[in-house]
Amino acid sequence: MSKQMKRMMPAIVMVLLFSMILSACGGGKKTAEPTSNEPAKTTETTTGQTDTKTEPAPEGSYLDQAYAGKFKGTKVSMFGPFTDVDEQKFNAAIKEFEDKTGIDIQYEGSKEFEATIAIRVDGGNAPDIADFPQPGLLSTFVKQGKVIDITTFMDKAKLEKNYNKSWLDMANMDGPSGKVMAGVWNRSSVKSLVWYPKKQFDAAGYKVPETWDQMMELTKQIAADGDPAWAIGIESGAATGWPGTDWVEDIMLRTTTPENYDKWVKGELPFTSDEVKNAFKIMSDIWLNKDYVYGGVKSIVTTSFGDAPKVLFDNPPKAWLHRQASFITSFFPTTAKAGEDYDWFYLPPIDAKYGKPVLVAGDIYSMFNDRPEVRAVMEFFSTGESIKTWVQSGGVIAPMNDADLNWYSTDVDRRMAELVQSATTIRFDGSDLMVGSVGAGTFWKGMTDYVSGTVDLDGALNEIQSGFKK
Amino acid sequence: MRRHKRKGSKWLVNGILGFICLIWLIPTLGLFISSVRTPSDILQSGWWTIFPHHAWKTADQVTLPKDTDLKQLIGVLGQNYTDDQLKTGVNISDGRRLIWENRRNRIVNVQKKEWTANLNFTLDNYKNVLGGKQYEITQPDGSRKTEKGSNLSRSFINTLTVSIPSTVIPILIASFAAYAFSWMRFPGRKTMFIIVVALLVVPLQVALIPVLKNFTALGLNGNYLGVWIAHTGFGLPLATYFLYSYISQLPRDLFESAFMDGASNFTIFTRLILPLSVPALASIGIFQFLWVWNDYLVALVFIGSQPNVQVLSMRIAEMVGSYGNDWHLLTAASFVSMLMPLAVFFALQKYFVRGLMGGSVKG
Repeated sequence: MSKQMKRMMPAIVMVLLFSMILSACGGGKKTAEPTSNEPAKTTETTTGQTDTKTEPAPEGSYLDQAYAGKFKGTKVSMFGPFTDVDEQKFNAAIKEFEDKTGIDIQYEGSKEFEATIAIRVDGGNAPDIADFPQPGLLSTFVKQGKVIDITTFMDKAKLEKNYNKSWLDMANMDGPSGKVMAGVWNRSSVKSLVWYPKKQFDAAGYKVPETWDQMMELTKQIAADGDPAWAIGIESGAATGWPGTDWVEDIMLRTTTPENYDKWVKGELPFTSDEVKNAFKIMSDIWLNKDYVYGGVKSIVTTSFGDAPKVLFDNPPKAWLHRQASFITSFFPTTAKAGEDYDWFYLPPIDAKYGKPVLVAGDIYSMFNDRPEVRAVMEFFSTGESIKTWVQSGGVIAPMNDADLNWYSTDVDRRMAELVQSATTIRFDGSDLMVGSVGAGTFWKGMTDYVSGTVDLDGALNEIQSGFKK
Repeated sequence: MRRHKRKGSKWLVNGILGFICLIWLIPTLGLFISSVRTPSDILQSGWWTIFPHHAWKTADQVTLPKDTDLKQLIGVLGQNYTDDQLKTGVNISDGRRLIWENRRNRIVNVQKKEWTANLNFTLDNYKNVLGGKQYEITQPDGSRKTEKGSNLSRSFINTLTVSIPSTVIPILIASFAAYAFSWMRFPGRKTMFIIVVALLVVPLQVALIPVLKNFTALGLNGNYLGVWIAHTGFGLPLATYFLYSYISQLPRDLFESAFMDGASNFTIFTRLILPLSVPALASIGIFQFLWVWNDYLVALVFIGSQPNVQVLSMRIAEMVGSYGNDWHLLTAASFVSMLMPLAVFFALQKYFVRGLMGGSVKG
């Protein structure tokens, strides 16, 4: 007996020691990082008393309370896709709010946001606020009832005053029991833009086209002068093809009604229908003409979307026009000056009867944990103030009406904001709204196959449509 | 005769090995060369162009009349060519070639083949990676302010904090287990061992969400302890199996004589097993360390990307920017991240070579 005990002793000691080490480490870490488990607990306690409607909030809105210093020392976790320079700009934009209110917004940016957010929410580790660049992704969480309806604590009239109706409609999503206002729009970008090298463009005597026909004339003229007019590239790693989807969406808005566009996005109007086919054909008139595209049709698929516009800045330019959203300026040479070396014009309307539609994209901030300080932060994000310094540093458009046009530091940015405000129709990037299997799947792939010549138009449209069955 | 044959096969084996090495080395070399080139150079020409090669060089330019019709045959230097020919380049007499320089201004290059090498190198990529990226952000008053992004040092230390315990803990447990499985008799030994082997084929991805749920409940998310435990769990089956196959092959006589002398299991483990299995421990140590060092998924799920805990692989992925506009930094960043695994490999490599088993039973 004692011999056996003796033999076992070292093993027991080791086990004890090991568990002690583990618990010691655990204890130390827990005190160092209380944020990870605290929010979850507090959520439970607050959701227990979420009788928000009976609470008239006598001291004003949560935002006012926050400015009064009521939530000093609290922390709000936030998760989104901003990394790198965007993260810096975001942090700069919220700094003043943090200093004034004492709320610490802990932003965590990840390149893999889309993949990670699902794991986090399913794993019960949802951030307080998440930033979705794709409303389609958000809608799946809304359906599961994981997202908090912001109208439970935000003044609806205030929201309606500060946002264009199209924006609010886009935030209104199907919840498990009726419609839910799933979040607030914060950062947005405009997609219907055609970039051109302004100085050389003017020197060559070209005029900015007002209609699609004029734009085709210009394309023809540039080709006759010896250059391909368009710089197009749709390579983007696993997402190759997406820049092409923007073209189709823009043309759809210009050749059919917004209602048809909405149906198309929902999957009710098939890709094989005449409307969509027509849009593809109009696009092909430019894309599949080897004299109109820099590097020829074959190079469209192999050119990275970010490298495509670089030829606009060669001297003399090797191509003259590039259709891409406002973010593309971050790929332009750092020496190029907005308004001098480059500028944009609005992708012109095709059919006058559909007015001036504008394709946009944006980030919607949604709330997963209901606490007073999170409410205050959400309210803050619905004001233009929350994005002011970011707007001033350029590259983004504020979707809020209380964002002053004077904030935009360049004319190039300001005109974008004006474009959105004067648009007859605003529609969100359709591929971001479609079901994932199409919007981030067959649409990209079908586009690529069509342009590379692997399938003909009907084949491509059937291929894209088949994604809805998945 | 026999000797010749052996020599021939040796050459063959060495040749094949050398070829495999070459195939493995070429991309690494390409990566390294790209890391010291400027982004525009990388875009315009391949990394192999830094070696002397035969390429077209413009020797002369011909300017055609402005009103030349590009749809017709185009006369250059007394000959007629089509537009397509001039676009792709057309060979003319004595090894020269004609190609458009600028179609708009109707300028044609006359090129000759010459030996050249692109020897335009820069250390900017490394500067940006090691020192942090510079951001030019326009301030509210219109001035431009340069802000410095964080550099790699913080995430380098974070990765070490993750990797070292995540290598030591599983190997420690696995060597205990391997010893027990091979030399101790206890009920359920076979069943337990089969379970361990069966766990080898379970992909860790299926465990992510359940484990995350438990971690959330325990408050282990986003800190080091959680990721240590995760890596330990995911690494244990392989480590146990690997060490088992080594430790079970140790000569039985050794332990019998040790038992005879009254050694306990613990003494045998620390005095005999551990020293004898250093080569195996070193190799599984290298495996596990490399796996943890290069891991992205487990860190992404269990640690996240808060700067104070973010690991190197995630930091590097973020360096390319929101739209992937700084892809050229990846080249330099991957070399920086390669340093540590290389150091570990070369430090432990000698244990592979040193045969500890030789002569251990003879005494």
